[in-house]
Amino acid sequence: MGNLLRQFRDFFVSLRLTVTLLVLSIVLVFAATLDQVHLGVWGVQEKYFHALFVMVRVGDLPVPVFPGGYLIGGFLLANLLTAHLCRLKLTWRKLGIWLAHGGLILLLVGELLSGLVQQDYQMRLDTGETKNYAESDRFNELAVTDTTNPAFDDVVAIPEQRLAEGAPLQHPKLPFRVVTKLYYPNAALERREQAPNAGPSPATQGIGPMIAALPIPVTYKPDEHNEPAVFVELIGPDGSLGTWLVSPLLGMPQRFSYAGREWKLTMRATRRYQPFALTLLKFTHDVYPGTDIPKNFSSRVRITEVGAGGAAAAGGAGAGGREALIYMNNPLRTGGLTFYQASFDNDDRTTVLQVVRNPSWLLPYLACAAITVGLIVQFLFHLVGFARKRRAAPAAPAPAAAAATVTP
Amino acid sequence: MTARASVFLAAAALLLSACGRDEVTSYRVPKEADPVMPGAAPAADASSAPLAPMAADAGGAPGMGAAAAGATMANTAVPTANGPSLVWSAPAAWRTKSGSAMRKGSYAVPGPGGAEADLSITAFPGDVGGDLANVNRWRGQVQLPPLGPAELEGAVARFQSNGLTVTVVDLTGAGAANRQSILGAIVPVSGSTWFFKLMGPTAVVAAAKPAFLEFLRSVKAP
Repeated sequence: MGNLLRQFRDFFVSLRLTVTLLVLSIVLVFAATLDQVHLGVWGVQEKYFHALFVMVRVGDLPVPVFPGGYLIGGFLLANLLTAHLCRLKLTWRKLGIWLAHGGLILLLVGELLSGLVQQDYQMRLDTGETKNYAESDRFNELAVTDTTNPAFDDVVAIPEQRLAEGAPLQHPKLPFRVVTKLYYPNAALERREQAPNAGPSPATQGIGPMIAALPIPVTYKPDEHNEPAVFVELIGPDGSLGTWLVSPLLGMPQRFSYAGREWKLTMRATRRYQPFALTLLKFTHDVYPGTDIPKNFSSRVRITEVGAGGAAAAGGAGAGGREALIYMNNPLRTGGLTFYQASFDNDDRTTVLQVVRNPSWLLPYLACAAITVGLIVQFLFHLVGFARKRRAAPAAPAPAAAAATVTP
Repeated sequence: MTARASVFLAAAALLLSACGRDEVTSYRVPKEADPVMPGAAPAADASSAPLAPMAADAGGAPGMGAAAAGATMANTAVPTANGPSLVWSAPAAWRTKSGSAMRKGSYAVPGPGGAEADLSITAFPGDVGGDLANVNRWRGQVQLPPLGPAELEGAVARFQSNGLTVTVVDLTGAGAANRQSILGAIVPVSGSTWFFKLMGPTAVVAAAKPAFLEFLRSVKAP
């Protein structure tokens, strides 16, 4: 066992492993950069960096062809940690190296945590509009909403991924099962008379029978969206209620009654509700005088707490709360979320805020600070040592020089 | 030992990555207004939206205002095939129609007694289900029963023209009055499938068959 442990340590401690891993990461970044043309930035992150292995499909089989970001990063982390434990001694003289390497470890851990827990959303707000939710730019959900109560809606949100998996979904708040009959990750919708070659629709309820859903290739381009189309069948205890076509392209909800309650189905961008609401008071888009070159975008917003049941979101555009100005490089941080000024629309009447939830957002800053301090400390140690030697030097060389001249 | 270390690290990463699985959630929210019907919105708003939604409040507006929906449909992404477009020359007697976003080409084909048949040319990525599914879809449109896989070859004619393989099917509709027929052609072109469908009263389609076949022979990749 002792021998095995030694082998384990020697493998992870070796500088050769470090160099190999760094070379592998260079190759990985290079390949990913080239592939970004085809996959876009999100696709590349998923395929190359947020993966243990880079997989390539051979026929229907995914085959690992190269270590992915998680694997290389994980080994680098293990390499760094074991090297620290086994090689470096905990002395004041090595403080700088400890700090710099500690920062590096923090950076690696921070990136891993960001990849795993960071969530990105967007919030579009028209001037005067109030919202207490942000919407995903990439993911969709099917909202099955019980609208019977005039005061509030009860929502069951089913992620698109769960619909794609196809397994029947039964939720305690729904008196029926939701079964995916057909799923297209990206589809265009056409009125049936405009699409003479479309096959028969599986939909029997709502607007589906009038619409042809035509599958199109999945897009990875950053400026394009995939618009899924799903045929879902709702099955109650007494049998099927029918099959509906749902898609974010259908803007409006589809309503029906069942079990004495009113329901609506909406496929929409995945929402993340927050316990406060934002009201856009004013969006400002300044340009340099006499040009169209943007100088500044800013959104003045009011933040109001949302009470139980989310009352503020409905009518919270009035007074109360606090105001904040969001502009480039000055995001609003509140409630664990960061709101960045991302874009605008509608002739400067709509602002688009990027909403990021990343509990590990501080780690890269701490890591960089630790690396900087570590390098400064290390440099100062060397500088001080060098200066001391230099100060001691003038006394010492004289006898040596004298000796050198005398000896022959 | 190296292998053991790899397995350990891989397992740790897998466990960590399994944390983020999407779950079904439920919550209560205040009532919110449905989106404004796109047709009612000012034109500037509708055009600046990333993808204009379609009116779909099937319960509230069963008729789904055709004009409004039609107008927004024009803004949706069109699922026609990418890649090279085919070109063709149509007989002078055929009247070019304005077509739709879906169609690559659209003609009114005149026949005896002033009746007209409709020729639509569309293209989609992939094989769109294959020849059998498409022939059976067309058969369904003229009230014919579907064919089995073994019957397909007997029902279609294939020929090569300008380097393209053209699969032609002649479907005379069932029923006595108002009989409709389809003359269809399926042409695979570099990963896409092009459909040429002449549909109309049986007499018009039958009379236009020689011209249609001649037209098909003019189809070529640019």
